[in-house]
Amino acid sequence: MKCEQSYEQLIHKYLDGEATSTERQTLEKHLNECSHCKMHVRELKKAIAFVQSASHIEAPKDFTANVMANLPQKKTTSKTKSTWKR
Amino acid sequence: MEAIVKRIILEIKQGDEQAFAELVELYKDKVYQVAYRMVGNAHEAQDVAQEAFLRAYTNLDRFDTNRKFSTWIFRIATNVAIDRLRKKKPDFYLQDQVQGSQDLTYESQLAASDDLPEEQIVTAEMQEWVQGEINRLPVKYRTAIILKYLEDLSLKEISEIMDLPVSTVKTRIHRGREALRKRMRHL
Repeated sequence: MKCEQSYEQLIHKYLDGEATSTERQTLEKHLNECSHCKMHVRELKKAIAFVQSASHIEAPKDFTANVMANLPQKKTTSKTKSTWKR
Repeated sequence: MEAIVKRIILEIKQGDEQAFAELVELYKDKVYQVAYRMVGNAHEAQDVAQEAFLRAYTNLDRFDTNRKFSTWIFRIATNVAIDRLRKKKPDFYLQDQVQGSQDLTYESQLAASDDLPEEQIVTAEMQEWVQGEINRLPVKYRTAIILKYLEDLSLKEISEIMDLPVSTVKTRIHRGREALRKRMRHL
């Protein structure tokens, strides 16, 4: 579709919340006249809503303990000692 | 929040190893969430998130405390995840045909859990489907989409995490959105 290419940039600008009020009006006017672009916007909004519907998940209960158990050994003390010995 | 984080980091740098546990507690869910959405399964997500914290611990001296810790840890975590994904063999999808079978898909092989209320099944299925679609995105779009729509971060923060200009982040989000639209529009 011809109009899709010229309006696609504007549609994404609009979805990023970065369209000026004039640009928004231009787009809204176009969407009222062009069912193709209107559908395009609707589908994009639907896809975003689907992604956002993915519920937040939490780290497993023993996560912090596991990280702490795997921390590398601090070398400072032994290193200083061995340097001192020399 | 930032003041607390600064205090904790100072304590760690002064040799208080246990203070690191506080830092992990503060960020573990966010980091795990990003890892999970990137790699698509709990086992690897745990590995990735843990590795990210261990790298942060080892490199803490290089962290500039005037910056946001969340930006730094997200950057480490997404890099670890991307490394993993590169090394991994290509994924198979549930809809793919089982090798040597005519019209058997992996999906049809999964046992149906019929003791759950219908609503719960739908929700769980939807969640799985959304995650599957996120995982089908090329990694560079996937990272941007996750940070934008699941972590709700600004384009500027995403550009710092991904170490890319804001304009490039925008392009990736646009392409990611279009790819998702094409796959999701029929539902």
